[in-house]
Amino acid sequence: MKPRRVSPPISNYKIPDYDINFFWNGKKLTAKKGDTIASGLLANQQDIIGRSFKYHRPRGVMSAGVEESGALVTIGDGAYTEPNISAPTEQITEGLCVYSQNAWPSVRFDIGSILNQFSRFLAAGFYYKMFMGIPPFEWGRGTSIWMFFEHFIRKAAGLGRASRLADPDIYEHLNTHTDILVIGSGPAGIRAALTAAKSGADVLLVEQDFLIGGSYLSQPDKIEFIELTEQLTAKNITILTGTTAFGLYDDETVGLIERVSDRHENITQKLPRQRFHICRAEKIILATGAIERNYAFINNDLPGIMTVSSARTYLNRHHLLVGEQIIISTNNDSAYETALELKNAGANVTILDAREQIGDNLLQKIVSNQIHLYLGSAVAKAENGFNSASIKKIQIAELGKNGWQSAGSLRCDCLLISAGWSPVIHLASHQGFPINWSEENACFYSSGNSKTIFLAGSAAGIWNRQGCIQSAIDIFNIEANANDSAHQKMGGWDTPIKPLYEIRLASLKGKAFVDPQHDVTASDIRLAHQEGFISVEHMKRYTTLGMATDQGKMGNIIGLSIMADALNAPISEVGVTRFRPPYTSICLGALAGRHRQSHFKPIRRTPLDQWSLRHSAIMTEAGLWRRPWYYPEKGEDLNKAYIREATTARRSLGICDVSTLGKIMVQGPDATEFLNRIYTNPFAKLPIGKARYGIILRDDGMVFDDGTTWRLAENNYLMTTTTNNAASVMTRLEELLQVRWPQLKVHVTSVTDQWAGCAIAGPNARNLLTNCVDKPDEMSHEALPFMGVKQIYLKNIPCYIARISFSGELAFEVYVPSDYAPSLMQMIWQNAMAFDSCLYGLEALGTMRIEKGHVTGAELDGRTTIDDVGLGRMASANKDFIGKSLRSRQMLASPNRPQLVGIFPKDKSKKFSAGGLLNEAGKTNSHPLGWVTAVTYSPALGHWIALGFIEGGLQNTKDKQIILTDELRANFLDIEIVSPHMYDPEGTRLHG
Amino acid sequence: MIQIICPFCGKRDHSEFSYGGDGEITYPALDANEESWHDAVFLRENIYGRQIETWQHIHGCRSWLLVDRDTKTHEIFSVKLAHLDWHILLEKNR
Repeated sequence: MKPRRVSPPISNYKIPDYDINFFWNGKKLTAKKGDTIASGLLANQQDIIGRSFKYHRPRGVMSAGVEESGALVTIGDGAYTEPNISAPTEQITEGLCVYSQNAWPSVRFDIGSILNQFSRFLAAGFYYKMFMGIPPFEWGRGTSIWMFFEHFIRKAAGLGRASRLADPDIYEHLNTHTDILVIGSGPAGIRAALTAAKSGADVLLVEQDFLIGGSYLSQPDKIEFIELTEQLTAKNITILTGTTAFGLYDDETVGLIERVSDRHENITQKLPRQRFHICRAEKIILATGAIERNYAFINNDLPGIMTVSSARTYLNRHHLLVGEQIIISTNNDSAYETALELKNAGANVTILDAREQIGDNLLQKIVSNQIHLYLGSAVAKAENGFNSASIKKIQIAELGKNGWQSAGSLRCDCLLISAGWSPVIHLASHQGFPINWSEENACFYSSGNSKTIFLAGSAAGIWNRQGCIQSAIDIFNIEANANDSAHQKMGGWDTPIKPLYEIRLASLKGKAFVDPQHDVTASDIRLAHQEGFISVEHMKRYTTLGMATDQGKMGNIIGLSIMADALNAPISEVGVTRFRPPYTSICLGALAGRHRQSHFKPIRRTPLDQWSLRHSAIMTEAGLWRRPWYYPEKGEDLNKAYIREATTARRSLGICDVSTLGKIMVQGPDATEFLNRIYTNPFAKLPIGKARYGIILRDDGMVFDDGTTWRLAENNYLMTTTTNNAASVMTRLEELLQVRWPQLKVHVTSVTDQWAGCAIAGPNARNLLTNCVDKPDEMSHEALPFMGVKQIYLKNIPCYIARISFSGELAFEVYVPSDYAPSLMQMIWQNAMAFDSCLYGLEALGTMRIEKGHVTGAELDGRTTIDDVGLGRMASANKDFIGKSLRSRQMLASPNRPQLVGIFPKDKSKKFSAGGLLNEAGKTNSHPLGWVTAVTYSPALGHWIALGFIEGGLQNTKDKQIILTDELRANFLDIEIVSPHMYDPEGTRLHG
Repeated sequence: MIQIICPFCGKRDHSEFSYGGDGEITYPALDANEESWHDAVFLRENIYGRQIETWQHIHGCRSWLLVDRDTKTHEIFSVKLAHLDWHILLEKNR
């Protein structure tokens, strides 16, 4: 195969004509501006471009589009490496580095090609069979043989390798809206866009190629096309080239990937590499064209074999004649135009047509142009030369009385195939629109939904240009006259297509590929059938047909027809697998867009964030929030810091940012009734100026959330929730008020972000606050008893103050509008200097709550009942509340349910960590009795402690020896089960 | 990528909404027996076709909605505020 440049047939289409350089496996080559990698490599006579997936067979350019299965390359270097690029779709830019794939040491001489000789061991499902062991003794049965071979297989099989480096490019997301979206800019697409624009509609035309035009670009005469592009400009139609519509989704939503900056050229502007558009349209026209098919015959993957239409593209778009001795094998009319053009460009052309007769019109043209024509003929086998991997000869099959039979051979340097066309119905299939088989046209087709999604042109199975254009116009006509069914019919050839999927002669042996990209052969399909994988979905997965990067664009139908043949059923009954997005490979980076690294999710700061950072806080992510974790003093690590903080708070005074607690205003005449229904404990008689701890259950009786609720006025409550459940509690309250109890007059407002809070805990807490108020008795026990709430001025700062405690110490929580938070904290912290005091973070907060046995999300994980956590007394027997009915289910009352307990190590010097299970000694291999939820070192007790759940709780484990098993860390520890209230169980400290 | 027409806010992307559940369940009174609560909480039809669902316009007006939707085609036939009094008021003032 010796492709060469020829002069453009008609010079009316101005294209830039200058040379650019690129690198092929490190070697500098020259191409023309406008070349694709495929045309550039062909122009440099590179017939072998890649090695195949499994057998390492040499492969060359097989097409001129996204269906490419042979010329897959890797482009770029380092972090910019991108593997498995379809060479016919990527434009060559100055200095582009292109590499061959799956070959060592080189693509021309590849050691891996020895696998071709062992192919009988690599048939469909060979890896599944390896699990069954090697006969006759099933040696290696199970996974061991797979484990042994996996390494070699992974190394030998495959395509390109992705870079392990982080993606250095930037990507953007866009929401794009348009009245009419036209996908594809060939004859039908352009006409659809122009017709749509007539009515004044907003039209977006997208084209996956880097140039618009579709099949116009492959035509010698471009006068009509140039006129049309001028009209597109005049009509103000938005055109996006290099933009793939990769998926069609509900409600006329299309995913578009727009390739914006070509990162391999010098970029002066800072543009994103790609944009991911979520495009919404009123109507979508799929003018996505059709893909020319191959058929199965022996060695149909040799370099030098490609589709007829691709040879036409290389000739008329890239001015490249792909061979001198060209054989065309066809079963339809579409190949003849190309044959004439190739002949005119100077090649010797021979046509093998599987049909036994063709129209007189075509016949005359062929004869008068001295093109050899063999009717009733096809290719049975392709052969390469003695010292070349490329095609040199074909064996012909002729239609005789008893079917196909051998009929001599012909020499050639290029073989072009056209075994019919498959409309690109992928997008219609994404939405599940019906896909039907047309026997007459030997293709699958879809009609969209006829309301908002339409197919036009060859995507609708129309094969001639005028018909394609008319079908685009009809879409808008049919709408005007809803009953007009005179739309364009499928087909459009003089002589109908003769289905041709495989030529198989008993006398010839070799591999006939169905899906060359995944090295699936015709015999693999038959093997799948023989082994019972007859459903197309099973056959696909067993043979991996159509599961390579091209998703079976060319080969699927051959596979289906072979299966149909084996089943003795029509293709329409065998059916087709549903296409899934994306239509072609897309970058994950484009889907991620800017949502990466620190932009992956927003940082939610408390109003005291900056203040805490200025006071040396180390922050941690806790749920949605960034919170102070600990406040190290000189040289302290986390462990030293939190122990000092918790110790100081218990000894004297600690101050903590608690702004993240969920806060919801519950207001209205029925607020009391509402709270009384959602909390398990009674709220009807909560006095104004008092807070109450409450538990909310789900409908199924499990604990949902807990927190304190403050009665600020008759019909005005401030509810607090746990930090993590703030949003879901709010949603739940709204659901109850809007859906279930619309008659209740209650309004709920989330005020989490409006109020900042700080906890002041420790024996000196009241002394500190007394120093901050005008009249000392405002802070007395009588003025602010336990669970008391009131408005107060602390050094002129208006606050709400409540005497509530999470730490178990005498403690207060002070809330101010968020803007006041730093001044409040600053004032409190300055006054705290007079005491032995500290700021404490989340870690010390956690330590103190574990010591007290206070539950959080780690314990209230949605599987625990109120009794499991020892709060059963909080479920009122005298009123109704949510979850009451189902909480009394028999199984939930079982005394053997896991219950909350405290855990001490028997040897108090032992440290242990979270993640362990609780087992009875001697039964560590049986089902565990429980688990650990939270672990800490307890400064108050002087040893490590934990909270956890164990079957039957404290009662049931009194006489048992329990072991904490941590298999992963090989840690086994004798433990003692104790009450969860491990520190100050009487609560004397709470009352100061 | 369905879109839901919120009665307050208009046509919005479904990413602004949060799915609730089966909109045809009538929850029993709080003091109803275990069996009726069991049926309301745990028994669900798995409908392949039209059903009424609750959704909340969580990144919008926060209304709870009753959405009549086809689970097969994702077609939405109607959207109402779940709070019927509000719905009637809204329709009246439209």
